[in-house]
Amino acid sequence: MLFSRRQIAFLAAGLLASVSFLANPAAVTAQTRAETLRQVTGGMINTLDPTAPGSTRESFGLSMSTYDRLFAFDRKKNGDGWIFDFNSIRGELAESYKISEDGLKIIVTLRKDATFHDGSPVTADDVKWSLDRAVTAKSLAGPQLTTGSLDKADQFKVIDPLTIEISLPKPDRLAMPNLAVVYPIIINSKVAKQHATPEDPWAQAWLKENTAGSGAYIVESWKPGEQVVLKRNENWKSGREGKLAFFKRVIAQTIPEAATRANLVERGDADISVDLPSSDVPGLMERGKVKVVSTPQFNALTLIVFATRIPPFDNKKVRQAIAAALPYGDMFKGALFGRGNPLQNGTWNGEPSEAKFPQNMPVKTDLARAKQLLTEAGYPNGFETTFSFNVGSAATAEPMAALIKESLLKVGVKVDIQKQPDAQMSTSVTEKKLPFFTESIISWIAAPDYYFRNFFTGEQRWNYSSWNNPDINSLSQAARFETNQAKYDEIIKKMVAIEADETPVVLLWQPNQDAVMAPSIEDYTYQFHRQVDFRDMLRK
Amino acid sequence: MKPRALGLIARRTGRRFLSSVPALVGVVVFTFILMRVLPGDPAVFFASGPNAGKAEIEAIRSQMGLDKPMAEQLFYYVRDIGTGNLGRSLTTGQTVSKDLASRLPASLELTFVALALALTLAIPLGVLAALRPGSLVDHGVRLLCTLGVCVPTFVSGLLLIYCFYYWLGIAPDPTGRLDVFTTEPPRITGFLLIDALAAGDWEAWSAAARQLVLPAATMALFVLAPLARITRASMLAVLGSDYIRTAEGLGLSRPRIIIGYALRNGLLPVLTIAGIVFSTMLGANVLVEKVFSWPGVAAYALDALLSSDYAPVQGFVLLMATIFVIVNLTIDVLYGIADPRIGME
Repeated sequence: MLFSRRQIAFLAAGLLASVSFLANPAAVTAQTRAETLRQVTGGMINTLDPTAPGSTRESFGLSMSTYDRLFAFDRKKNGDGWIFDFNSIRGELAESYKISEDGLKIIVTLRKDATFHDGSPVTADDVKWSLDRAVTAKSLAGPQLTTGSLDKADQFKVIDPLTIEISLPKPDRLAMPNLAVVYPIIINSKVAKQHATPEDPWAQAWLKENTAGSGAYIVESWKPGEQVVLKRNENWKSGREGKLAFFKRVIAQTIPEAATRANLVERGDADISVDLPSSDVPGLMERGKVKVVSTPQFNALTLIVFATRIPPFDNKKVRQAIAAALPYGDMFKGALFGRGNPLQNGTWNGEPSEAKFPQNMPVKTDLARAKQLLTEAGYPNGFETTFSFNVGSAATAEPMAALIKESLLKVGVKVDIQKQPDAQMSTSVTEKKLPFFTESIISWIAAPDYYFRNFFTGEQRWNYSSWNNPDINSLSQAARFETNQAKYDEIIKKMVAIEADETPVVLLWQPNQDAVMAPSIEDYTYQFHRQVDFRDMLRK
Repeated sequence: MKPRALGLIARRTGRRFLSSVPALVGVVVFTFILMRVLPGDPAVFFASGPNAGKAEIEAIRSQMGLDKPMAEQLFYYVRDIGTGNLGRSLTTGQTVSKDLASRLPASLELTFVALALALTLAIPLGVLAALRPGSLVDHGVRLLCTLGVCVPTFVSGLLLIYCFYYWLGIAPDPTGRLDVFTTEPPRITGFLLIDALAAGDWEAWSAAARQLVLPAATMALFVLAPLARITRASMLAVLGSDYIRTAEGLGLSRPRIIIGYALRNGLLPVLTIAGIVFSTMLGANVLVEKVFSWPGVAAYALDALLSSDYAPVQGFVLLMATIFVIVNLTIDVLYGIADPRIGME
């Protein structure tokens, strides 16, 4: 076969192009690489609207950059790194705000120069529409905002184009923090309304796949479950000190295999990953090619749960016995590799000195005491039970379960370990069928009374131990509306004391979040949503 | 080939296709029931936002139609399949047909390349081994095959990544079909190699090809064994047969005997195995897809299965069943071409 002259020229050009590309692929991209942040994660972004049912954590994280809220949590130094400061709230779209004397009204003045991505100004009407949507539409937002006494559209009133008044039925401590969490995004209502239909008045279908916000970044492309590319919003005014985000471009990519994520960051091809297994972190630190920012997750907690309504765990003495028989030190080292903040060996008795939760509880491994408590409870020869955990947390839960089994056998309790797929585990937990298991809790609102209300009262899934203690039920409600700090502290101490005595759960630890990043990345901030907030970081 | 023979093949194909319809229906019903019998309530799983209460779980359940009796759900499902609607995935938030359509080419491209690679390696290796049974070459091939089939794909995959990406730095980062800084060619077939070629975009073509090398090699290594072994066995049988002896007696050249007469007849069983291997690869390459972040259908179905997301799993199984039917048909047709006697039945 003969080639024509044109074909040969074409082939040669192609060959040349591919050769030059192979030889120096970096040259094309080097210029923008420093201004691009590439995050790799095992999770995926499945919606652009964080309030959509089924939203993943990564979707929450992304929405922080694509949407603004009225308020945001400030940050504070923590060792070498930064963490969010639950007690300090700054305006994001709000330029200033006033709270009335009686605590029933929050009057918010918006930034004059804030604009949405399409260039139109952010007005009080947009804020009203967005907050109405958050409390009215069937989404994840409603149940969350209720915890801040925000549940009706008529609580939000437009005073003038730049002022909005939020009224509360009671002075709720958590109203402001709830306006700074992921859900109350401020949406461009003019755009969203164009895509609303009679069946879908809040444009939920459209906003799942499109954004209409005013945030620091604009979505350039999104492949669900694969990657999202963001470009910087050059007109963003809501940042800390009014500054633009540092990175001009952000790529967030789903890489399911943790080892691959670690390789990518070590090779310098990716800039940050916050979901590498703790077992890999010591090795990464030793090789020294990456920077690791480790922060105990102040708003997360790993628990050992007893079903307080299923025998034998309905007996307080049995719960205390098991709590005394758990191998805390071994678990912390063997399962968590010591990467976290353990919550045992509290030095107090009766009531704690600090009005804090979670805090170190007065428990420790003491097999003799466990044996004695079991005898008092009527189980001198122990009993048989199951211990469950979900596949998703197997990396730490599996060694943990083995250590628990071994240790409990010493006091005569035979444990059968059950590993369940995540969906199955959450079903069993919701149906309250499991006697003894491990779970984690994560709370955006890091307030002690919030923990008690959501995780230790009621019939919902998050009350893992199905605890029903009349004192806790009434105290946790009282704390919510207690405006006097000293009285509030008293209530919290009382609740922590009851928890320590009744032991519906054992607080194990607050695991570290190990953010593994390129050495050039600075100012990573541990956020309440536990995701990378692209707006925080910069490259040196 | 004569038109009559072609007509025969076409008729046979049609008949075979019709006879596989009941199997497909069975697969649909079986997966449907299996997904619902498995423990795990998707509504509970997806209502995992903070403070998700009973009301929210119920809302998701009715949104998914899970509050209706199972027979009614099945009826709606089958009706929807008839209209090409496979439902919506809660994990990705997209319709299943859209997800599968965007992910299937990724899996197919990888599988085709891997199979081609495996065949180009396995057939010569098998033939070499058969020509000198018991020799050093034979043992070498056996060792390679055993290694390939013994080492799980995620181990060999990670090993290849470690060597060629992390250590030597020759391979591109193992993150899907195209590295993030390359722009994707306009989508025509979804096969990046073809689309890039069509667009004349050599940069994208070479980037896509570079991404393919490691995962394809991983998969090829794994299926080398069945292909090479069956080639060897069938060649051994063929080489011992009368017509080969006759050909040798007539003094035909050695290459002509081996390639022209022995291999053509020896390839039949290889073809069958290749068909099966192809279908298995497509469904079973989930580990390779996970390790190389390949956005394929198998990884997609696994994610859905873990979160009890019914629609994608059902859609995936239906797709796989259909592909299996099509592959078997293709193999049948190829059979007819390779061995004219079969077409004449």
